[in-house]
Amino acid sequence: MNQFLAAPSRAFQWSSAVASSRAARRVPRGAVPPVIVLVVGAIIVLNYGLLYTGSVFVLSACYAIVTAGMAVQIGFSQQIAFSQSVFFGVGAYGVAMLNTHLHMSVLLSGVIMVVAAALVALLLGSVVTRASGLALAVATLMLPLIAVGYVSGTGFLGGPVGAPLSGTLWPGSGSTTLVALGGGLIVVVLLAAVMFMASRILSSDIGLELFVLGVDERTAAALGVRTPRRKLELFVLGCVCAALGGVVYAGTQQFVPETVIDPTAELALLIMLFIGGRRSVFGAVVGALVIQYLQGASNWVSVNILIVEGLLLTVVLLVDPEGLSGIVQTGIAWLRRKSGPAAADGELAAGAAWEARDDLAGLSLSSMLADSLPAENAAAGPAGLGGATLLEVRSVFKEYGGLSVLHDVSLALPDRGLFALCGPNGAGKSTLLNVIGGSVAPSSGEVILSGTDITRRPPHERFYQGISRTFQAVHLIKGRTVLDNVAVACLASHTASIVTRIGRSRLDAARAKAARTLADLGMAHLADREVSSLTLEMQRMVELARALASSPRLLLLDEPASGLSEEQRQRLAALLVTLAERTCVLLVEHDLALVAQVSERIFVLSGGHLVFDGGPADFRSSPVVNSLLVGS
Amino acid sequence: MKFGNLIIAGIVTGSIYAVFAVCVSVWYRVSNILNLAVGDFAMVGALGVDNLYRVKGLPLPVAVITTLVVVAAFAYLYDQVVLRLAQDGRRPIEGIVVTFFFTFALSFFIDGVAKVLFGTDVHAAPTLWGGSSLTLASLNFPRAGLLVLACAIIIGGAFWVYIRFTLGGKALEASGENAVGARIVGIDTRQYRRLIFVGTALIAAVFGIVESPITGFTYLSGATISLTGFLAAAYGGFRKPGRALVAGLFIGVLEALLGGYVSAQYGDTVLYAILAAAILAWPRALGFESAVSG
Repeated sequence: MNQFLAAPSRAFQWSSAVASSRAARRVPRGAVPPVIVLVVGAIIVLNYGLLYTGSVFVLSACYAIVTAGMAVQIGFSQQIAFSQSVFFGVGAYGVAMLNTHLHMSVLLSGVIMVVAAALVALLLGSVVTRASGLALAVATLMLPLIAVGYVSGTGFLGGPVGAPLSGTLWPGSGSTTLVALGGGLIVVVLLAAVMFMASRILSSDIGLELFVLGVDERTAAALGVRTPRRKLELFVLGCVCAALGGVVYAGTQQFVPETVIDPTAELALLIMLFIGGRRSVFGAVVGALVIQYLQGASNWVSVNILIVEGLLLTVVLLVDPEGLSGIVQTGIAWLRRKSGPAAADGELAAGAAWEARDDLAGLSLSSMLADSLPAENAAAGPAGLGGATLLEVRSVFKEYGGLSVLHDVSLALPDRGLFALCGPNGAGKSTLLNVIGGSVAPSSGEVILSGTDITRRPPHERFYQGISRTFQAVHLIKGRTVLDNVAVACLASHTASIVTRIGRSRLDAARAKAARTLADLGMAHLADREVSSLTLEMQRMVELARALASSPRLLLLDEPASGLSEEQRQRLAALLVTLAERTCVLLVEHDLALVAQVSERIFVLSGGHLVFDGGPADFRSSPVVNSLLVGS
Repeated sequence: MKFGNLIIAGIVTGSIYAVFAVCVSVWYRVSNILNLAVGDFAMVGALGVDNLYRVKGLPLPVAVITTLVVVAAFAYLYDQVVLRLAQDGRRPIEGIVVTFFFTFALSFFIDGVAKVLFGTDVHAAPTLWGGSSLTLASLNFPRAGLLVLACAIIIGGAFWVYIRFTLGGKALEASGENAVGARIVGIDTRQYRRLIFVGTALIAAVFGIVESPITGFTYLSGATISLTGFLAAAYGGFRKPGRALVAGLFIGVLEALLGGYVSAQYGDTVLYAILAAAILAWPRALGFESAVSG
């Protein structure tokens, strides 16, 4: 929970971005930055295309195509893969080779190389994206190292000298002016296209998936994000953008030096991304421009470029970790506040209203029960206890190394009711919850949901089969609003490919569903708040709202009451009892009084063994429970 | 005796990797920052001593001490200015930005300054223990290599004693296990971040001085050294200095054997492919899972 002690950051920017995008519906989503780049780029190429300014612009546009892809993959989704320079090399060397040896035009060979890069990335990505976090970074760091060894060793690609090519990006022959300006324009158009694609993906429902994936892969999977597929798609997207950048580089520079693929090139691209602003596509493009122009700014700068880049990166990141685009955003927000004090007052007043209602007093349980729970679930069986068996855990064992955490645990739960799982610390409660939720695979045994064996199914599939869970520590997505946090559980994008979101986004539908869930819980007034500005109780409520938003059949709650006051616990207990009339709730809890008060059946784990299974009356009188949990 | 000599060469290179890997992982434990500039301190050590001794004509001990003082002062200043602003402020910077990019920027900065001060040619600190290789039963022991090995053992041993047997070492362990918890029981984790940062910068500089006669350094050599240290630390799960040490030795020996038996030219390429495959095959066993979640 201590991650929430440090309060960030861009809550109001997110919500105001949403508001402004709704207000300006006439402009297509994500179209503004690419159009700016297209217009400004065309003007620069046509006016200065033959001068130094123009040629630097075209070169930086080649790199900007790569960094725009990196903003999606590395900045926004935090999948750090050091594969860009290698795929840049694949594009550049591929075009040089096809052009020189097979006399293909640059455009044709460029198309071939981009397709080839996509296929190679798919193959390579299906292996390397099995790794996460730093493991992914280190595994892909080998790629430029291997590539450098290969290129400098083989004479075919020109070795350390490099590979020249005679073809140009502009098809057909013409005057040198036409070739230079035409080639530059093609680069600008491609850059605008890549930016358009990237911004549309990021602003879509899948963009929200990617954001969650970047913050916390395990939570993303528990909320139904198909993490393996998304990671592979991101890797391929990054590689294709890099290859495209390499293609236009070769086509406009007519020479591919060995330095394009070495790790230094990778680092240079990362510097561009982080100076510009890692989460912003526009920022990534600006970063590429800044670095390229800096190098030619003056003789002193170009000689001492390492000092300048090092200082610049340090200062920019210290001022704002989101780079230049973060600084500009903060500046705009500041200007808005300065110019419109009335609006700021309104915002403050609204904030005060939120504070006043920052508790659960306004919960309207009846309306929630009427609307938010699925009709098919309500009609699934006769009312009362002991309906059809929903979940069966059959003799589950779990060992870590030689340590036995779960030993022959079996239990069965009906499709409604409130059940509790108790036990001392280290008894295996959370592990059992993880086995049911799918984030931990049992060593042996089976997990059956409605007669279907789901033991080997990944967490995101279980989510779609109706298992929803919360974690022991609050796992909300910092930097996003309450509405977006709940909307993550309402996304219908699990089978969709990332590419489809260049077309239509379904984020508004998910947000509408999330808004309904929040309204049902009496939390509508919190929708636009950034989650880390909430009290712990409200954060737990937001998590519960998120878990309920998908209309689950089985709700797994890991210590939902921890850290709450007695009064807050009672409110939560009342809510859970109401919920349990329509759905199956399995609760891990330390508060024995609360457990005995609300649950109809209690399981006690000790040292991985299920030592008690019975109703609250037996639970109170059981000697096993007393000696184990009460300690007398 | 090719095998034996390859093993000796491998252990010498491996001990260099191991020392840098230990430096990276010990500091990562206390600061959550991967020091990608550790190799640049080594480069400054070697080229600084060379510059003061050979160009400026200072006596060797004076050159060595001056260089080490400058390195320590710079590291201290960097911690006081940049890291304090980044980590100790009201809004500490979290995640990959601080894990990678501050020391990455530092590395660029140091390289740039070194280029101005030392030029772009290959140089090395003077050999501290000159003479031909020692030979024993047809095994060759190059003196520079033995010196590197001796330094590695002394520094590694001192580290081990410090962590294992002193109160400071225990506090260091605690800050690594749980920084918030350590702060609650009264350990100043910032002080350890500074201590270890300056300490590892000094160790790196010393190693640069003893290692450079074997390989020779340019102002850009730091990146390669950091990289090998980073890789070996990675295979120790980033947080486990002991495993990082073993991983460093192992990578050094494997590199020498691949270079000797597989291909002198593509040995490194094969090595990197093996290392990549190892991570993908056993991420948990290599300690990556804990590094990621921790």
